[in-house]
Parts: sequence; structure tokens; C-alpha cells
Amino acid sequence: MSTSRSEGCTLTGALSVTTGVQDAVTIIHGPAGCAHHNVSLFFSLLHEQDIGAIPAIRCTDLRESEVIFGGELVLEALVEETVREGWKSVFVLSTCVVDTIGDDVAAVCSREYGVPVCYIPTSGFLGGVFQTGYENALLALSSFSCRAAPDGTVTLIGEKNLEYEVEENFYEISRLMSALGARIGLRYVRNIGTDRLADLGSGSLNILRDRSIDTVGKKFRELFGTPYIEALPEGFVQTCEFLEKTGELLGKNPESAVDAEIRLQKRMIARFRDFAGRQVCFCGIPGVVRNSPAIEEIIQTFDLSCDEDGIYLEVPDPFPVGTAGMSRLLHRWRRTVRADK
Amino acid sequence: MKQIALYGKGGIGKSTTSANLSAALSDQGLDILQIGCDPKRDSTRMLMNGRLIPTVMDLVRERGDRNISIEDVVFRGYGGVRCVEAGGPEPGVGCAGRGIIATFQILEKLGALQADVVLYDVLGDVVCGGFAMPMREGYAQEVYLVTSGELMSLYAANNICKAIARLSTRARSRCRLAGVICNAKNMPREKELVEEFAERINSRMIQFIPRDRIVQVSELNKKTVIEFASDSAQAEAYRNLARKVMENTRLDIPTPLEIEDLESLAYEYIKE
Repeated sequence: MSTSRSEGCTLTGALSVTTGVQDAVTIIHGPAGCAHHNVSLFFSLLHEQDIGAIPAIRCTDLRESEVIFGGELVLEALVEETVREGWKSVFVLSTCVVDTIGDDVAAVCSREYGVPVCYIPTSGFLGGVFQTGYENALLALSSFSCRAAPDGTVTLIGEKNLEYEVEENFYEISRLMSALGARIGLRYVRNIGTDRLADLGSGSLNILRDRSIDTVGKKFRELFGTPYIEALPEGFVQTCEFLEKTGELLGKNPESAVDAEIRLQKRMIARFRDFAGRQVCFCGIPGVVRNSPAIEEIIQTFDLSCDEDGIYLEVPDPFPVGTAGMSRLLHRWRRTVRADK
Repeated sequence: MKQIALYGKGGIGKSTTSANLSAALSDQGLDILQIGCDPKRDSTRMLMNGRLIPTVMDLVRERGDRNISIEDVVFRGYGGVRCVEAGGPEPGVGCAGRGIIATFQILEKLGALQADVVLYDVLGDVVCGGFAMPMREGYAQEVYLVTSGELMSLYAANNICKAIARLSTRARSRCRLAGVICNAKNMPREKELVEEFAERINSRMIQFIPRDRIVQVSELNKKTVIEFASDSAQAEAYRNLARKVMENTRLDIPTPLEIEDLESLAYEYIKE
């Protein structure tokens, strides 16, 4: 049985977005087990990012009685209690159980509570998988946005708050934007307050975390007229292409930024000269290893020979972003190669 | 102890038949427990002289399931028949099927499921696993189908056969079809049609109950026919049913009909 993250529950996918709003609470409308599973998962994954705090997640703790008589009143009571605590917004996720018994979660959320209460269509596993919840949450949170004229900034869409090196990847994209004379105005959705969700339509360009949320990019283009770049770059060539395309869409000449980046990449490659000519064997998720142009670039650049007898080098998923990502990866691999001696 | 369940299309007269059957059985000196398994909660009303008793689910809603005693949920009606209503959520919310399962768990825990005859009167059709509960876990071992000669009523009865056939394949299942009760609409050749239907599904029609105004009159007086018009022919029909139920030892795994066969069967009798 596969245990790929993409086959996880919609709740985890949606939570990976909603917990990025720091002054909001997310309510899981369902049995305590659904919340427990996710809180445990978040605790361990965030701990690996050196984040000790558990996100604000509440649960309606549905039991037999609510299953029989319906759980809408319990949800309403918890939303009211949460609002009284002073949170700036509330996100509500539904589980398999409430979808099975037919609670009208959207109707409960549409009542007036004094702060925005946003229903994210999830329905646990019945509603789909991790990816469905992640996309639905990104789309649902756009209901907070206000129409505004583009302000020249870039919006980063769909950073995966649970993956490794989120901040490292963000710094790399920030660096690349600076090289073009641009800046990231909004991280949608990471470490922001509810008020910032209104700015979703203000950016001049959206950059998606990866191609899996292409429908989100299209929807935001339709809603706000914002063009988008499909994914963060992986490898040397993609990073330069990313600079070119971003510059073009922002109306900035990318030539000098690209030249500077190529020089930076050459200097970096020179630092890893001792890595060249090795006999290696890349391992990791087969699709990632096989289809990665960045791996192919590394093989060519460093004249590596690949076979099963080579030193095992683990290819991370997701692949690190940009030139800095390549540098971190080569550092790691060089350590492995040296340790093998 | 005999445990029987009456299933059939909504509005076909299951509760009327159940209440009169319970009343007739109690007249034989038997200890009877009738459990209404329908959120409408009106199975035992005539046995209780028109009173709608509190349901198990009402009590769970008010107190939770820990503070319920046997006296809270079991009420004595005509002839000492002990009456229970499962109840359920308000229409349009929650899960009534789960309510039936919870009711059975509570009654089991209270030790309430003891009697010479336990009679389960179940909502119109087996709409989900919850309403199949009386057939599962060794509760009702004898299922009676209540039907008239109308096609939709036979169709519902045939569907219930599918549930019995499915459940009877399970290793520990003791649920079987015990017979068909024809609660007539006074259609021409209705008795023959239901008799043939019963044979075709590998069972038999155990009792023909004619349509009689006395049933409505008794109900308007908030009594069963057995109580209100004890000397009537209709009461005798219910007493016959009670005798046959107690003597019945024939239990079958039904063979549901294909819809085309069922329609052809009904057509043969109804066309004239």
C-alpha cells in the first residue's frame, strides 16, 4: 500500500493552508480522532522546522449523539465560543462523518458571527485527498480578497507549510526577485494575518509553489487578472528561465539579473569540483528522480556515472528551489561522498 | 423467546398489524415487547390508547445515554404489552439509522430485550444498515413481510427479500423469512396474487387480513381492533395471525424476483 502524502486526507491539505493565518483558528467539524491525527502530524512536522507551537486547531468532538441528531448546533456553539476568544477569522473543515450524516456546514458558516467564518469544502476522505483540501483552501480563502490595482509586487501562492526548507526556498525566491528589482508582497498563505488575505488581488504577478495548483493560478488570473508563473524553479537552467519570465511579466529587463545568476552558478559549481567524476546512484521517489531535469544537469555538469554500484545519493522531494537549493543539495551529497571513503 | 420483525412499504399497515398482533398475543397470556423502529414513533400508539410515549432517542437527546433506566423507556400498554419507541432525529438532520443501532445497544445494555415474543416494527424499507439492525446480530430471527397486492407494495417487499437473502449468507446470521402477511386493499384477486408472490419468493402467505372500516374506527377511538372490537371478524383475523405466528416453524431464505418478473406477475392479476 502506498503511503504517499498525496493520498492523505483533505483535512491535512486544507490545514496546511489555513494554519498559515496566524490570527485565525481552524475548526475540524468531526470526531476527535480526525483532529488528533492532524494535530499530531502537524506537531511532528513543524517540530522538524524548529517550530514548537501547535497551530490553533479546534474540534467539535462529534459523538454518537451528534451523529444521530445532527451536529450543526455543536458546530455553531464552537464557532461562537471561538469568536468570543478574539480570533480574527475562523475556518471550518468538514470530515467524512458530517458529510455522511448530511450536516449543512456551509449554512452554519454563512450566519453572522461578527468575524469572517469561512467554510472550506473538505469532507475528509470522502471529499478527496490532501491535494484537494490544499487547493480548496487556497481557493476558499480568496473570498477575503478585495479588488485592487496591481501594485508591482509578487505574490507567492501555495507555499507548502509542512514541507522541508520552506523558508530557505522563500529566501531564494526573494533573492531572485531583488535581482530583478521586485519584491514579494504577500505569502499566500504563510505567517500572515487575516487582514493580509484582502491583498490577494493586489499583486502584479502570482508565483505558484508547483504545477499541481495550476487550477488555482488560472482561477486567480480569472478573478484578478493576475498573470502567473507555474512553479518555483529547480536546477540551474530553470532558475535563469524563471528570472527571464518573471522579468518579462513584471515589465523589467531581466538581462543583467540572468548574467549575474549565471556567474553565481559558475562560481558555485567551481566550489564542488571535487564532486566531479564520481560513480553514484540516485535514490528517492522514482518519478522525482527519473523526471528531474535538475538531476540531469548535475550529471552532465559534474560528469557523474550512474549505476547501482555507485554511492547512494538521496534525491529529496520536493526538490530544493533555485541556485541556492542546488548548492545545499550538492553540499549534502558531497558530505555523503566523503563519508563513503 | 420468539423474536419477529415486520417489514413493508410505508403506509401499508405495519404498525396497525404489529399492534393488533401484539394485542392478540398478549390475550394468549404471553409476555410481549413491541419495539417501534421508526422516527415517526407511532408504532405503539394504539396499544397505549393514543399516547405517544417518550422515545429512547428523546431521552438520549435530553440526558445522554448513561442516565437512562428501563422504566424510562418501556411503557405498559393494552394487555400488559411492553412498548418501546426508538424515535430518531428531526426530519432532515442527523442519521436515523444510527439512532436505531444506538437504541438496540441501549436496550441490550438495560437488559430490556426479554419477553416471550419481541416484535420489531420497522420503518418502511431497509434504507440502510441501521434499519437492517433488527435482522442482524441475532435480534429478529423471523421476518414477516407486510404487503398488499399493489405493485409498489410488492416491489418494496421484494426489496426487503434482497436484504434478508444478503444477510442470511453471513456466517452467524439466523435471520430468515417467516412468511408474508397480506394487508389487503380489497383489490380483485389480491389474495391469489400475494399468495403466488409469496411462493415465488420461496415463502408462503401466512395470513390474509381483509380491509375493514373497523380498523379506522378503532384507531379513531385510539384502540387496537383487538381491544375496541374484540368480537369482529377483523379481530379474528388478527387472532388467527397470532396463532399462526406462534405455530410457525417454516423459515426460509428468500429468492427475490427480478423486477421484470415481478411486473409480469402483478400484470397477470391486475390487468383484468
